[in-house]
Amino acid sequence: MRRANVTSGIVLAIFGLVMLFAVIPVHIAPGPEGVMSPRLVPAMMMIVVTGLAVLLVITNLRAERRSGPEAGSPVSRSALIALLKIGAVFALAIVLYLWLSPLAAGAALIIGALVALGERRPFVIVLMPVALLTALWLLFYKLLGTAIV
Amino acid sequence: MSALEYLFVGFQDVVDPGILPWLTVGVTLGYVVGALPGLGKGTGVAVSIPLTFYLEPVAALGMLIGIAKGSGAGSAVSAILLNTPGEPSSAPTALDGYPLARQGKAQKALKMGLYASVIGDFLSTLILIGLAAPLASYALMIGPVELCAILLFSLTFVGGLSGRSLTKGLIAAALGVFFATVGLEVETFVPRFTFGLLELEDGISLVPMAIGMLALAEMIVQAGDLRTLDAETANIKDGTAREDRVVLASEWRRCIPAILRGTAIGSAVGILPGLGASVGSFLSYGATQRLSRTPEKFGTGMIEGVAAAESADNAVVPSSLVPLFALGIPGSVIAAILIAAFILHGLTPGPLMFKEQPRLVADVYAAMICASLIMLIVGCTGQRVFAQVIKVPLRLIIPGVLLLCSVGAYMETGSIFSIYVMLFFGVLGFFARKLDFSFVTFLIGFVIGPKLELSFRQSIQILGHDMTNLVKHPIAVAFIFLTIAVVWWIGRGNRPAAAARHLEPDVAAAPHNTGTTRNQKGG
Repeated sequence: MRRANVTSGIVLAIFGLVMLFAVIPVHIAPGPEGVMSPRLVPAMMMIVVTGLAVLLVITNLRAERRSGPEAGSPVSRSALIALLKIGAVFALAIVLYLWLSPLAAGAALIIGALVALGERRPFVIVLMPVALLTALWLLFYKLLGTAIV
Repeated sequence: MSALEYLFVGFQDVVDPGILPWLTVGVTLGYVVGALPGLGKGTGVAVSIPLTFYLEPVAALGMLIGIAKGSGAGSAVSAILLNTPGEPSSAPTALDGYPLARQGKAQKALKMGLYASVIGDFLSTLILIGLAAPLASYALMIGPVELCAILLFSLTFVGGLSGRSLTKGLIAAALGVFFATVGLEVETFVPRFTFGLLELEDGISLVPMAIGMLALAEMIVQAGDLRTLDAETANIKDGTAREDRVVLASEWRRCIPAILRGTAIGSAVGILPGLGASVGSFLSYGATQRLSRTPEKFGTGMIEGVAAAESADNAVVPSSLVPLFALGIPGSVIAAILIAAFILHGLTPGPLMFKEQPRLVADVYAAMICASLIMLIVGCTGQRVFAQVIKVPLRLIIPGVLLLCSVGAYMETGSIFSIYVMLFFGVLGFFARKLDFSFVTFLIGFVIGPKLELSFRQSIQILGHDMTNLVKHPIAVAFIFLTIAVVWWIGRGNRPAAAARHLEPDVAAAPHNTGTTRNQKGG
């Protein structure tokens, strides 16, 4: 975790500095005279984040120097693969939503997730989207009397 | 009308045929969601908020409260049967519940878990009803300067206690407040971080953000741990003898003190912002073990262990609403999500709600009491069925939850932009879990961010840009000193959460412990 803390600390510190010196001055107008600047609170939060991120890096580097490097990462390979698979399924569903219809997107989301997670039985892959989408239709269009818009 | 008369009217409203079924649906849904490993009350409530858009306010709030309460009780099912807590706060339940299940006494453990949950939840609800309104009357005397100091203290307290690291907790809190500044600034109407996008002018919506951080991120974590979780479902067995299936009178006598102690600990922990149900259940389990005549038998199937953990776990939920109702400050992730639901349905949590909408408050209280009773009925009648639900492989559950997440996020605005927001915060929540940054603190920071900024602005004007004027506000000064003291105290390693976790390596070693259990503290 110490190595991950150092990395996340560096990323957060860079994020904070970019926000403080590039994004906040460019994207937030200074505001009218006599009132508190709209930049103040975001800038204060970024100063806190940057300061604490530097502290996180320093304390973890010191601890690592004392006890030596540790093996393994908190983000496992299987977790990253799961993230990528689910990300890809959502990307496909969004493309289908934009180009085809929400129904196609919903079906793609269920089928894609089932296949990505290792389900191979055709019966389940066909039946589950039908059942879930029908249940949603019944819930919203019949029971609650509204449309998913 | 007196408070009791309002409560009576509240019961009349709740038993209405248009309300009670939704409350029952909420409790049942919550019980099932809680029983499924990794799906906690936060996930259940966040995903369900959009489903309640078209319900009457009382039905909607009742359903959401039912989900929160039901999932607290349901989480014991997977802890006992699978050794995989449905929520982190049920981890100590697994310590004795799973050995009982392996001895063929699963039904007995499940029943005691349910009874302890219901008693803890019910008594804690009474504490909420008794405490929130009197506290709120004091809160009305608080001005912006005091409010700003209290919010700062709460955020620091939550940040310090809800994760493993004070530094990371405070970073999460600051990031939460930072993301709350997105949108048009309330005083000058200057756009902040909108990047020309109209969708961001009203700020980032809490519902897709909460769905992303809680539900979507959790599903991704679970998807990465599928094999281990599915393997646990294989070894569930059930005894046939009567004494293995029912709670005997002698066991009740041993468990009642543990339940009452657990309720007291859980209620106290719930009222303090940031500690969360995990701390409550671990503290209660530890206290019961220390006070037992046979502490060495704990971990081998002592039913008092189940009673102690479950009563505290469920007592935390109602009492964690005390700071929300009395001060408008969410002290837990469930309170942070419920705040959005309350506002959506016309009830703004805070001291004024007792004066402005006493009937709706009474309805909520009545719904909470009814939910406790429904929980008992649903649990008793459906426990065997729910025990079967957890045998469903996660690969069949995750796609359905992903669909519900998408529908829930989409319905908030009726725009695909909400899906993008959900995905962004889903990825952020995934890394927050893995890198142990408290997403609970982040969400609470996000929710109280606008109030913190507004009170900060007002404070600067009231103080005339001169900090020495603070001496005229002794309450604010006291809370500023408390904030400094908390940072110093926690920074030196005095963390109740850490103390409670002394038991946790045992849990991690014996039962299967999910990523959720390790990371979802403070909820």
